[in-house]
Amino acid sequence: MILGVARIATLALSLIVAALLPAAAQEQKGTLVFAVESLGAQTLDPILEQRPGNAVYQAAMYDSLVGFNLEKGGVGPGVAERWEMSADGLTWTFFLRPGQVFHNGDKLTAHDVKFSLERQMSQGSVAAMAATMRRTIKSIDVVDDLTVKVVTSAPQIGLPASLSRAVAPEGSIMPKNYIEKVGDDGFRKAPIGSGPWRFKRNVPGDRIEFEAVTYNHWRGRPHFKELHVLLVPEESTRVAMVRTGEAAIASIGPETMLSAARAGLEVLSVPGTMQAIFQFYGSYRPEVKDSPIAKARVRQALSLAIDRKQLVEHIMNGKARIPYPFSTFEYTDYFSADKWGKWAQENYRYDPALAKKILAEEGYPNGFELKFGNMALPGTQFMVDIGTAIVDMWTKIGVKVTTKHYEYGAFVPLERGDQAQLIGWATMYRTAGRPDAQWRYNSAFQRDAGQRLLGDKDNCNAACEAFGKVYTALLDERDTAKRTALTDKMVEIVNDSWTVIPLIEGMGYYAINTRKVGQFSAIPGRHELGDVFERIPRPEQKAWPKK
Amino acid sequence: MKRFIARRLIQGVVLLFMVATIVFFLGRLTGNPVDLMLPEDATAEDRAALVKTLGLDEPLLDQFVIFVGKAAQGDLGQSIRMKQPAAEAFFNRLPNTLVLIPWALLLGMALGIPLGVLAALNRGGLLDRFAGTVAVLGVAMPSFWLGVLLIFVFSVELGWLPSSRMGGPEHYVLPVITLGTFLVAGFMRITRSAMLEVMESEFVKLARIKGLSETTVIWKHCLRNALIPVLTLWGVFVGNLITGAIVTETVFAWPGIGRLTYEAVIYRDYPLLQAVIILKSILILTINLGVDILYAYVDPRIRLT
Repeated sequence: MILGVARIATLALSLIVAALLPAAAQEQKGTLVFAVESLGAQTLDPILEQRPGNAVYQAAMYDSLVGFNLEKGGVGPGVAERWEMSADGLTWTFFLRPGQVFHNGDKLTAHDVKFSLERQMSQGSVAAMAATMRRTIKSIDVVDDLTVKVVTSAPQIGLPASLSRAVAPEGSIMPKNYIEKVGDDGFRKAPIGSGPWRFKRNVPGDRIEFEAVTYNHWRGRPHFKELHVLLVPEESTRVAMVRTGEAAIASIGPETMLSAARAGLEVLSVPGTMQAIFQFYGSYRPEVKDSPIAKARVRQALSLAIDRKQLVEHIMNGKARIPYPFSTFEYTDYFSADKWGKWAQENYRYDPALAKKILAEEGYPNGFELKFGNMALPGTQFMVDIGTAIVDMWTKIGVKVTTKHYEYGAFVPLERGDQAQLIGWATMYRTAGRPDAQWRYNSAFQRDAGQRLLGDKDNCNAACEAFGKVYTALLDERDTAKRTALTDKMVEIVNDSWTVIPLIEGMGYYAINTRKVGQFSAIPGRHELGDVFERIPRPEQKAWPKK
Repeated sequence: MKRFIARRLIQGVVLLFMVATIVFFLGRLTGNPVDLMLPEDATAEDRAALVKTLGLDEPLLDQFVIFVGKAAQGDLGQSIRMKQPAAEAFFNRLPNTLVLIPWALLLGMALGIPLGVLAALNRGGLLDRFAGTVAVLGVAMPSFWLGVLLIFVFSVELGWLPSSRMGGPEHYVLPVITLGTFLVAGFMRITRSAMLEVMESEFVKLARIKGLSETTVIWKHCLRNALIPVLTLWGVFVGNLITGAIVTETVFAWPGIGRLTYEAVIYRDYPLLQAVIILKSILILTINLGVDILYAYVDPRIRLT
């Protein structure tokens, strides 16, 4: 009798608990398995990882000070729900969203924001913009728990964008009290963030596992209970894993897209995620002044010799397009996309006859010798095929190309420092999709920046000077129309220099097992899924349309 | 025997020093590591400061002496990409490779040795030709292609086995077959030729004259003697497996030292690559020393030469 009563009581209690549990806890089940070709440094400390790793897996567990516009793909609210610039242009004030917590229960406050930005700027940081932040940020002041001011040494109109994960990873927010308590090593072993996924396990060279938070997170409530990000370098293995259901989603290249679709997998294309480009290093330097590539018209001729439609159709399987000018996309902010789209259609046309004519006019009727570095950045192996194809196209107009193939890891140190081994060379390169053109133009063209493709401190020609002036004016321009005009001018200077020449605008591709995940879409222009995982439904929640 | 071991040890140390020297100077030839360690936008001052911190402003010979001194104490530097001691990264992944090797060896020996014996017994016959075909295929098939083929057939089409990654016993089957196929061919060929040689020996003829059964002659007397060169090959194959697991581990997403080597090359993580090469060399030297000792024990003529 007592036993029976106890059973009934237990059952009733279970029903009451189930009814009272938040919907999130009831709905989260299963594991979302994502297979990817690279996990970068595979560290969960944001100051030790570069953009791709941050965007692929760190984004799952960390929030960024400025976030995404999920619909349009640009900058949107993040840890800060809004931000404003002071009248003198020297201070940005960020107003934080109330009620945010880290995974250990600590409140996320302005103190954490100050701590995180200062940590990104520290000497131990490998953040791409660490040195720039040290130069431009004068101080970071906490006004109250939900307000923080960033004071800059000169106006920085693009600061919020550069602290958005849509552009760069430096806005990741880390827990001040926790890191001060456990130290850097302790934090790296047991990292804590404030994102919709909390860290569970990191197996070097193999996987990173996360589990969903059970509360309603402002970025979305994960539908799966766990997220496993697996490192699977071989593409055919990744596709096999999706076919067998061992993984739900895998990143793939355009060369695999058709076979994946034929095998019955859903293929998701994310438009406008990158541009494949080629660029000239040190074409302004005195030691190459007599070289053909020192002449902008010769560089333009090399662009005219390229049949981009062939690249799109035969290498990218039709899933790419003629690009906009360098590092700009349809969704680029403060940018006349229509105007530049038309410009690109005209100027990036295939016209080998004109290319030959220009070469003859410039004194190279029989072509010239060109050194070319062919290379793919991680995850874009098709770039090597594009590089090979354009070498063939240049050969057809009489250019004798000496090609050297590089692994990206071997190439990186060459373009740092004095760039001695690249001066006078053309090389393949890539730029990722970002809504903010200014950020990328800074690293490519400022005379003291890493790539400095227009000029350096000692050799700054008219285009380099003009770029510097426009860029400086842009940093302080708040009027939307004037800012657009300045961005257009900046693009024009670079276009006319023909130092960086876009080849195709590519897409991000994913093979998907529709029995494992429901229908979802990526953030426009964003290849990586780190900010999408929490919005991916289970298949029974939203099935893919039947083919 | 002690002198033999001592001589081998000294040879090993010399060899290791040569490996370290080559690895160090090749690493320096391929560029400045500082550029990989700094953020993209690092200034010339940042670069100069790091050069000083790392001691890269010292003469190359001094740097080498420091490198050897630290290496002797087990400090093989810090991985640029993983931001952890390179030796630690190696030893974290080593067990994952070591669990594959015995199974691949077992597969190679279990199939290769009997096949070699049968081929020798049927010299010129159908079985011999079949074994020859197996040997050619085993050597000629690229492990990359074989791995992908096995995944396609047994994982994707038949659904019998997982396609990749570490896990339960079923996860070992395809990587072990991929690694072991080459060994089957190797063991088969060496066993066959050793058997043919032994079968012509005087003591075998004597055994037959004495009236021993053919089974005893072949499987006891012939095979035992034919296994001496197989033992030598065993040491070579373990070395091949340690260095050659790169492709198999990449195809099967197996987080071993093969993949670690691949990653070190791809990301130009030269301290890690340096450490991986040195530690692999130590591993291979140790295994070869073990085989040499075993060999000297089995065949006393070896230690006298």
